[in-house]
Formats: sequence, structure tokens, C-alpha cells
Amino acid sequence: MKNKRPLFEIPEQLNKILTDSGMLSAKPLVFAEADMDVSCEFRPHFLLLTEKTLIHGKSKNLGMSGGKKQKPDYSEFTLEEYPIDNLSDPAIDGFVVGGALRLSVDGEQKPVCAFTNTYKGRINRLKDILVTLKKGDEIKEDRLYEDEREEFCPKCGMRYPDRGRKVCPKCMDKRKIFFRLASCFKPFKWHIAAIAVLCVLSALVNSVWPLLNGRLLYDGVLAGNIDNSIFSALPFKDAAIWLLVLVLSMVVVKFLQQLFGIIQGRIVARVVPDVVADLKKKVFSTIKYLSVSFFTGKETGGLMTRITGDANEVTNIFIDGLPYILPNLFTIIFSCTVMFSTSPLLALVAIATLPPAVIISIKLEPILWHFNSRRFQTQRDFRAKLNDNLTGARVVRAFGREESERTRLAGSNRNVAAAQMDAANFDIKYTALYHIAQSLSSVLTFTIGACFVLAVFRPQMTYGTLMTFTGYVSLLAGPANFFSYIFRWWSGSMNSAQRIFEILDATPDVAERPDARPVTDLRGEITLKNVTFGYDESREVLKDVSLHVEAGKMLGIVGKSGAGKTTLANLIARLYDVNSGEILLDGNDVRDMRFEDIRKNIALVSQETYIFKGTIFENIAYADPTADRKKVISAAIAASAHDFICKLPDGYDTEVGSGGRDLSGGERQRISIARAILADPCILILDEATAAVDTETEKNIQASLKELVKGRTTLSIAHRLSTLRDADELIVIDQGKITEQGTHAELITKKGEYFKLYQIQSKALAMRGIGE
Amino acid sequence: MKEKDIFLEEKQEVEELLKTKLLSPDIAKFSATPGGFITLTLSGEEQGMVNIIRAFPFTAENEFLSVRTADDKQKELGMIEVLSVFDEETVRLISDQLAIRYFMPKVERICSVKEEYGHTYWHVITDKGECKFTSPSGSAGAVVKKGDRVIIRDSDQNRYEIEDVKKLTVKELKKLDLYL
Repeated sequence: MKNKRPLFEIPEQLNKILTDSGMLSAKPLVFAEADMDVSCEFRPHFLLLTEKTLIHGKSKNLGMSGGKKQKPDYSEFTLEEYPIDNLSDPAIDGFVVGGALRLSVDGEQKPVCAFTNTYKGRINRLKDILVTLKKGDEIKEDRLYEDEREEFCPKCGMRYPDRGRKVCPKCMDKRKIFFRLASCFKPFKWHIAAIAVLCVLSALVNSVWPLLNGRLLYDGVLAGNIDNSIFSALPFKDAAIWLLVLVLSMVVVKFLQQLFGIIQGRIVARVVPDVVADLKKKVFSTIKYLSVSFFTGKETGGLMTRITGDANEVTNIFIDGLPYILPNLFTIIFSCTVMFSTSPLLALVAIATLPPAVIISIKLEPILWHFNSRRFQTQRDFRAKLNDNLTGARVVRAFGREESERTRLAGSNRNVAAAQMDAANFDIKYTALYHIAQSLSSVLTFTIGACFVLAVFRPQMTYGTLMTFTGYVSLLAGPANFFSYIFRWWSGSMNSAQRIFEILDATPDVAERPDARPVTDLRGEITLKNVTFGYDESREVLKDVSLHVEAGKMLGIVGKSGAGKTTLANLIARLYDVNSGEILLDGNDVRDMRFEDIRKNIALVSQETYIFKGTIFENIAYADPTADRKKVISAAIAASAHDFICKLPDGYDTEVGSGGRDLSGGERQRISIARAILADPCILILDEATAAVDTETEKNIQASLKELVKGRTTLSIAHRLSTLRDADELIVIDQGKITEQGTHAELITKKGEYFKLYQIQSKALAMRGIGE
Repeated sequence: MKEKDIFLEEKQEVEELLKTKLLSPDIAKFSATPGGFITLTLSGEEQGMVNIIRAFPFTAENEFLSVRTADDKQKELGMIEVLSVFDEETVRLISDQLAIRYFMPKVERICSVKEEYGHTYWHVITDKGECKFTSPSGSAGAVVKKGDRVIIRDSDQNRYEIEDVKKLTVKELKKLDLYL
């Protein structure tokens, strides 16, 4: 079986031990590990269910839990073997976290082992199969396999924090991320190279400046001493011309500096938006393919930040960081060379204060960082509370809690102010200290340099040389700053990149098979065979559900909240995949079908309606963009939406969705029903489709739906039993199982759960004077 | 295959829903009351006064007109798919009523547009005369774009129309720039 892992796979070492001891006489069915004693101490356990026996192994040593995949030494295990025939009543006592397995051995209750949630899924499977074995039922082959899922990081052994994404944030290789990121810039490699060249050029030009402005100006031109300078090569000896030449070259240098800056800016402005847009596009196109479960596991806000913010953040390092590394390095080396060749002693003095500055920056900046993040945190908290307060304004008023809300906000507001003050205070201290360290170096260089110039110390130095020298000292400050924050910048950028790649790497839980075959002319027959499903494996929402709906019939699904009704609908539409069993449409397994065919043939109208930004016409035509006005109006009439739409001043041209006209819950619902009708599917799933509308409108919709459902297979999920009056068959789901099945009349005569619900509802209606 | 055909037959009924509503000149006779209102006679049956509403006021002005009773219920008596299939007299009658119902001054010249404190202050010359009004700022509240046609909605939900933005002068366009 493809992508399936057998449950009966036994670790090699254990297999040998068991084979040697002769315990492995029957065919193994399920191997499961557990990590706790019944007293809840961490200790490795294992259970092996074979066709004849249950083997329980328990380590002599305490072990470790905490999501770490255990690799126990099985030679240290004490083994016990129980014949299946002696066992009965396997049960799992659920804890808040994890649970414990107990069994009756020879009629006596016996706790076996306990486990954290990490191991719950497999133990559950073992228990279920043991129950089936005891019943004497046949065990279907596919129940002995589970989906191949890498659940643990191969490097550190920790469980992936998010099962949908096989990414271990801890073990993520930052260098790899970097190179992967660099590949995004490939189309722009020449641009990037140009930026780097320009950076080097401007570094060169920068380095020339102190020379012009110091030695040449003071010692050469102003002192009239040109014989020692490069001007000696020039044919003229007039000081005024020298000055002119010098000033001109200074202008040229400044001009070049600006020119390089402008060209670089223009290139950056070309590259960055493109790369950012490209990254966003990549993220967006991946998100589109991910399963519904990816979105339910994440906040939409978080995803928005990823698409917008992170992409920008990531490109920063490439544009404002990397190209500058070389020129900064160049500046440092060039400056130091000139400084040391001019006066080694003075150079040492100048450099001596550099380490303290760097140390201050390295030591104190994290603290500054901390203050800043606290500031952001308090601001976020304040915004969240404010948002709460504003969106919940109606509730606040209704309960007269204005005063307490004000106090709550005031407290949060004070926190923001305090955090801002702290951050500012520290920032001032930090900046001051940093500048003192830097200025100290200038002052010292100046003082000692002045002593050289005044010939207090030997060798004597000219004023111009000193000016050039201090020029280079101040030139050093830039690169020093750059290198002190590039590292933090780097890690921030890589973090953003990592978040983006997490999305790009996420694999959809529900994927179309490459060999999926197209199905045409679907009639709409639905068959469920022994379907078991849970959103997480340890908690099954549907248990062994089988049902059959003939094409064109209407099936009503009744049950309490949380019974698994919506889940059933989600599975048929293949928003999720079953854990075991199969779902067939016209005899085709949904997993073998193309998404396109499934989506085209199934329309889901659920409790949650979504109205896109656009006109009402566009919103209905969403299901079929080629639909003309006639079709859209027909669908709207069928959904009882036509009347209210016509009464809007702009009719079908009314702008709705964010920023547009507000529609009521019932109106939205009717638009989404119209959308489903327009899709013209052969299977229509109505998941509490009429729950948000009043009884009068529901009746209208019902009447229209009656026409609509005729040619289609319809699954209708409803709390209000009146909605399901026309169903050909009804099922009652309770705790993931079908408990009753039959027509309305049959279920009423049966006097079971449906009858009870029916009675309660008709009584309630009678009391309100509505009557059935 | 036979089963499939039955499905098709039944599915067509959704389309039928609209067909039964469509009014043809054969069965629907519109006439004017002395007071300038419209009455409808449907298959010889007197329906009384009716209002005519555009289902697509911006995108299809003379198609899919909903004919409704003039009372509070506004019950739909039927729809006119294309107005032009009716006789000239009826077309004129209905067009006149639509023109009144969808009254919207056309902006001919923009004197000034200013934004202050979240509101946009307009001073325009329309085909009905000079006009000053305030609209809420932001693309949603003030300006609806349909191609080159712009609808401005003011704070009182009055509407003003700029028929073709391209026909405005460069100076006027500049004033409008922020809102388009």
C-alpha cells in the first residue's frame, strides 16, 4: 500500500528477542508504544497484539517522555503474555492529557500502562482492533495500516510542532534557508552584482575623501608644500590652480558618491518590489493548495502577516545587508592600513576604544531589544483589548460594564506608557554610553595627535596628516556599527524566511493522487463503508459509519451538536480524508478522483457563509463565472433571494462584502444557497443551511429547495426537524455512530431518539403557537 | 442512461422558475394613469398600479426589469427580460418612470474636491444645476466605479453620476485622482 505504514511493524531488536523466545507464534497485528506506568511515572512500555496473544513489555528503567521519540533497549524489558481468550473489556480511561489502558484478565480488572497524548493514537487503534478480535469479526486489511506520516524530526527526535508541516523550527538549517532564499534573487543576479560593485566603488570614493580633505588640503595646498604631494607631477606651480584642482576633485568625489547612491537606489527599487511580490505569490499559491485543516489550525491574522510582512523583512537583508559587507570590510582594511602606515602608535590609540564600543553594543543591545519587544507587546495587548471593547460594544452596554472596561483599558494603557518610558530611558542611556565610547576615541586621537603635531612627542606629524587620520577614524564608525547589528538582522531575516518556507514546505493532508482519474457524468450515488475519522487521531468523531444514499434521493441527518454531522459532510466533499474505510461516489473512491470533479459535483452550503467583496451578481456567479444574468436570477429566485435583492436600490449591482453594504445573516445565507444552486451540482450538501433564516423565509427556501433537490442527491443536516420533512430517509447520529435509520414515519413508530427530538420540537412549536 | 434523462428534465425546472415570471408583450399591457403612474394588465386581468425596478441598475439598465405592485408588499408580478421588445409607447412609458425612479444628477463640471476629517466636500455643476455635498471618504463610501462611469454617494445617500471620467479635463481629473 502506498504511503501507508503497517501498524504491525516491530522494531528489529524486539522482533529478534520475541522470535528467539518463541513468543511471536501468531501473526502480529498492532504494535504500540506507551511512555508511562499506571502510576504516571515515565517508563517505556510496549504492547504487541497478535492474532492469539497480547504481549506487554515494560522497561526495568525509568524513561523519558516529553515528545521525545523513545529508542528503548528492549533487552531490558520484562515481558508478559496474555492469550486473547483470557482478555476482556479493554478500555481507555482518558486523562486530560493522555490516558491509561485497562483490561480484564481472567475476569479481573488490570491496569496495563498509561500514556501521554503522543502515544494515544496507536494505543487507541490497538484497543479498537482488540475489540474487533474479541467480537470475532474479520479485521479488514486496511485497518492495519496508518498513513505514513513523519511525525518526528529526524535530527532532534522531537515531534513536529505542527503535524501538517514537517518542519522542526529548532533544527532548521539557517544557512540552507539563506541559500534557498538567495535562489529567489537569481533572476536579479546581475542587479545584485551591480549593487555590490557600486558599494565597493562608493567605499573607494569614501576612502579618498579624508586624504583630499586632510593631507592634500592642509599640508599640500594651504602650506604651499606641494612637492611632497601628488600635485608635484602637475605642470603648474600656482597655488591658486592647485586649490582649484583640489576643490574640483573634492566636488567630483562628492558628486560620484551621490551618483553611486542614486544608481544603487534605483536598482534596489527595481529589484525589491519584484522579489517581494514573487515571494508573496509563491506563498499565496501554496496556501491555495493546502487543506482546510491548515487554515483551521492557524489564525488568519498570522497568515496575513506572513504573506505581507515576512516577505518584506526577508528581502531587506539581501538589499540593505549583504551588498554592504564587502565595502564595509574594505573600508575597515583600507582605513587601518592608512592609519597604521601613517602612525602606528596613534592607530593603536584610535583602535583601542573600538572594542569597548563594540562590547557596549553587543552587551546592551539585547537589553534594548528586550525593552522594545516589551513595548510592542504592551501595545499589542492594548490594541487587542481596545478591539475587544469596540467590537463588543453592544455587549458592554447591555451589561452596563462601561466603567470596568474603562478601568481595564486604563490599566493596559498605563502599561504601554510605562514600557515606552522604560524603553526610552534605556535607549538614552545606551546611546549616550555608546557615543561616549566613540567620542572618547576621537578625543584621545585628537589629543595625542595634537601632541605629535606640536612635537611634544616624536615623530612629528603635520596638521594635514592628523586631519586625514581623524577622518579615517570617523570612517571606521560606520562599518563598526554595521557589523554589530548585521548579525541580529541576519537572524531576524532568517526567522521571517523560515516562516515563509514553513508555508511553502507544508504538505497538504488531503492531496490529489497523481494517477487520479477523471470521472464524468456523476449521478450522485453516495456510499460510505466503515468510515472512521477524527480530526486528531486519538479522538474519533465518526466511528465505523456505513451508509448508502441512492442518486437523486434526499437524506436527512439529525443529531446533537458535536455528534459528527458536519464532519460527515466535510468528508464527502473531501475537505478531509478518512482515517479508515472509504467513501464512494458512484462507486469511485473519492481519494481516486480529481479534486476538480469532486468540487464540480458537490456543492456545500454551510452555516458559515462567506460573501466576497464585489456585487451580489458576482457573488452568486462565483460558482460559475460564465453564468449570464438569466441564470443568476433563476438561481436567486430558487433561493428566495430575488425579492430582497430587487428591493435593494442597486439590485444585483449592489456592492457587498468588506466595505460594501451589510447583509443580514439570512440574506447572506440565501445568496450562498443561490451560489450552490447555480453550481448545479449532482450532490448538494446543506449543512444547517436554513438555520440563520426565520421560519417564514425557511418555508420559502424549503419550497424552492424542494424543486431544486429533485434531480440531485441531497444531504441535509438540520436541527429543526421540520426542515427534513421531505427527506426520503433520515439518519440519527449520536457520538459518531448511526443510531437510527429510516423514513420519518418509520422513526416515529420506532419511538427512539428521533421520536423524542420530534416530540420536544413540536411541543416547543405548539407552545409558541406555531404548530407543525 | 434513461435515469439520467429524468434528472435533466427535473433540473430544467429551476430555469423554469424564471421563465414563468417573464412578461411578454402578448400578455402584459402597460398603460399610463392620468396621474402619470403605470398600471399593468396581465392576461386580461387588471393588476393595478405597478412600480418598475431595475435588477441591474448599473450594468443592464433596460434588461431584467422587475415589475412590482405599488403597495407595501411590492409583490413581483413578473420580469421584463428586454424592454425593447415592447412597443414604442410602452418603452417610452417605462423609460420615463425609470428615469424618475433612478434620478441621478450628472456631474458636468467639478469645481472643487477637498478632503477634511474623513469627509469629502464636493462642489460640482450638474445637469440639474449647481450642487455642494459631503460624502464619507474612502473608496467604499464615496465613489463606485463601473468602467469609466463613477457614482458618488453622499452622506444622505443621494447619488451623483460622472458619466465618463475620461471626458473630464486634466485639471478636474487631478482633483478626483485621490478617489478613483
